[in-house]
Amino acid sequence: MRLPDRVTGLFLVGLGAAAAYGGWQLPPVPGQPVGPNVFPLVIGTGLALCGLAIAFGIGRSFEEEEHLIPVEGGQPPPPTSKLYGLRALLPPALLLFYVAIADRLGFILTAAMIVYVTSTALGARWKVALPLALLAPIGIHLIFSKLLRVPLPPGVLPMPW
Amino acid sequence: MLNTLTQAFALITTWEVIIAILAASVYGLVIGSLPGLSATMATALLVPVTFYLSPIAAIATIVAASTMAIFAGDIPGALLRIPGTPASAAYADEAYAMTRKGEAELALGAGVWFSAVGGIAGTLSLMILAPPLAEIALSFSTFEYFWLAFLGLMCATLVARSSPVKAIASMFIGLLVACIGIENPGGVPRFTFGMTDLFGGIEPIPALVGVFAVAQVMRAMLTPEPPPIPRRKFGSILAGQWKLTKKYNWQMTRGNIIGIIIGVLPGAGADMAAWVSYAMSKRFSKEPEKFGTGHVEGLVEAGASNNASIASGWVPSLLFGIPGDTIAAIAIGVLYMKGLNPGPTLFTEKASSMYAIYLMFIIANIIMIPLGIIMIRLASHVLRAPRSTVMPVIMLCCAVGSFAIGNNIFGVVIVATFGVIGYVMEENGYPVAAMVLGIVMGTMIEQSFVTSLIKSDGSVLPFFERPIAAILAAMAIGALIWPVLVWVWRKLKRTPVPAASAR
Repeated sequence: MRLPDRVTGLFLVGLGAAAAYGGWQLPPVPGQPVGPNVFPLVIGTGLALCGLAIAFGIGRSFEEEEHLIPVEGGQPPPPTSKLYGLRALLPPALLLFYVAIADRLGFILTAAMIVYVTSTALGARWKVALPLALLAPIGIHLIFSKLLRVPLPPGVLPMPW
Repeated sequence: MLNTLTQAFALITTWEVIIAILAASVYGLVIGSLPGLSATMATALLVPVTFYLSPIAAIATIVAASTMAIFAGDIPGALLRIPGTPASAAYADEAYAMTRKGEAELALGAGVWFSAVGGIAGTLSLMILAPPLAEIALSFSTFEYFWLAFLGLMCATLVARSSPVKAIASMFIGLLVACIGIENPGGVPRFTFGMTDLFGGIEPIPALVGVFAVAQVMRAMLTPEPPPIPRRKFGSILAGQWKLTKKYNWQMTRGNIIGIIIGVLPGAGADMAAWVSYAMSKRFSKEPEKFGTGHVEGLVEAGASNNASIASGWVPSLLFGIPGDTIAAIAIGVLYMKGLNPGPTLFTEKASSMYAIYLMFIIANIIMIPLGIIMIRLASHVLRAPRSTVMPVIMLCCAVGSFAIGNNIFGVVIVATFGVIGYVMEENGYPVAAMVLGIVMGTMIEQSFVTSLIKSDGSVLPFFERPIAAILAAMAIGALIWPVLVWVWRKLKRTPVPAASAR
């Protein structure tokens, strides 16, 4: 997901300009010189200027390369195909899945699916992933629902406590 | 004074607080020692739990968990050469070199011992610095608060280990996020795009959980699993530490002082303190050639430094609501929730609570020594937990925790969104800590800015008229143009710029 500075910089120019324009459009408070429109205007302008500077490579010389500590005896580096990078989107996708489905299906079942998928994606075999998917949601449910009284959705499989 | 101290003792000697400290300590030690789970993440995931505790117990969990996690990061650093938290990254190489020389006990012992010393030094600085600063801060008007907040944001961008332009851009993104909602001078929905869920604005805590926890799970999807820790027996952990304390007394003191200063600076936290102190230790050492070959001197200084910064990071948080680092940013959220709104009056009106915080820091740093030793001995068992079992549980905590903050499912959407934002930013060299500070401080900086402008009738001059405001303004503007000056100077000198090669 490493994009060229030109791309991120120009994106920030667009974001800043949109914010400044959006702020400018806000209605002022009657009888007062400054209202809710001033701050987004200032921020948006600043962001757009920063974006320009980044797009033109100003400040690049300050960047320090991260001190990556090579793992000794670790697995070989992962394959770098385009699709492999998309794996990173799995966690947020699972969270959105939770938002969409938890109310209907209930916490335990949704959570079990999330745990199983995450665990398998990180290389666990089903012998590990399956017991974890059974136990972890129940444990979390005990802590949050029983102890801390968070109203987790019961769905089709309510817990007996 | 004595009366307040007795009250403070009474506040913390309840069963709830004692259990909270112990449980949070164990939690902090485990999360901190697992590679890839940072101290900030440990603290952020703890926030939903603090909702259901009394104010003092809630703060106790934050204090204990963050203190322990920063030390515990040293354990996999020494045994595996993989820092458990970013704060231990500076000296993980050195500690691992010591382990290979057969001095694992000395390296880990130095970690626990000098972490505790640094933590207590940081607490003392908090006790000594905060009350007199509160006296001064009582006379601050919105002009001073505006410059202070501005200076805080500039500091955060100056110390970031990346391009200052990108850091400033990150900060602006954070401020822009803080613009969302109806909590603005006009009370009109701003940048809500007609979504009622956005009317209340973006809560900092779900955003933090997203940036620090979800983004970390995302990164784990693409990086290879760290190797399991080799089983080993340890000798005495604390043997020889007293000798080291006497031998490297000056280094330890310097580490404490640097840690305290960096902690007080907004935005710069434990990882920065460790990098600076380690570099300093090498620079001023009598035997710099030994660094990198398993020499304990740098560990002493940097280990003391990163823990000292944790406590002193609370100074600006408690006084002004300006977080000293990302952990303090979370602490501020908890303080607001618990009715301990940061501000100079906290030290006069809620003095006993303040003393309770000092006491908790000292207690946490003292019990860190026995608990830390137990953790070191158990490390080879705890660290065997494969990532594929830890990360799914983290995911569940993210989902449930962000829901629990407002009993609102929209919190989970925020967490997922900020996970992606944090991941993309970090991958492209935009420091997320600067954005987090922008989110946390956005409302405050806007309020002081707009109120000041209304008071001054739109004129800029009053921003510089009061003496303290003028000093703060000069510092803030200096911090703003400093990178520009350095850049121009480098261009003029035409030194061969080390090209930041794309990875």
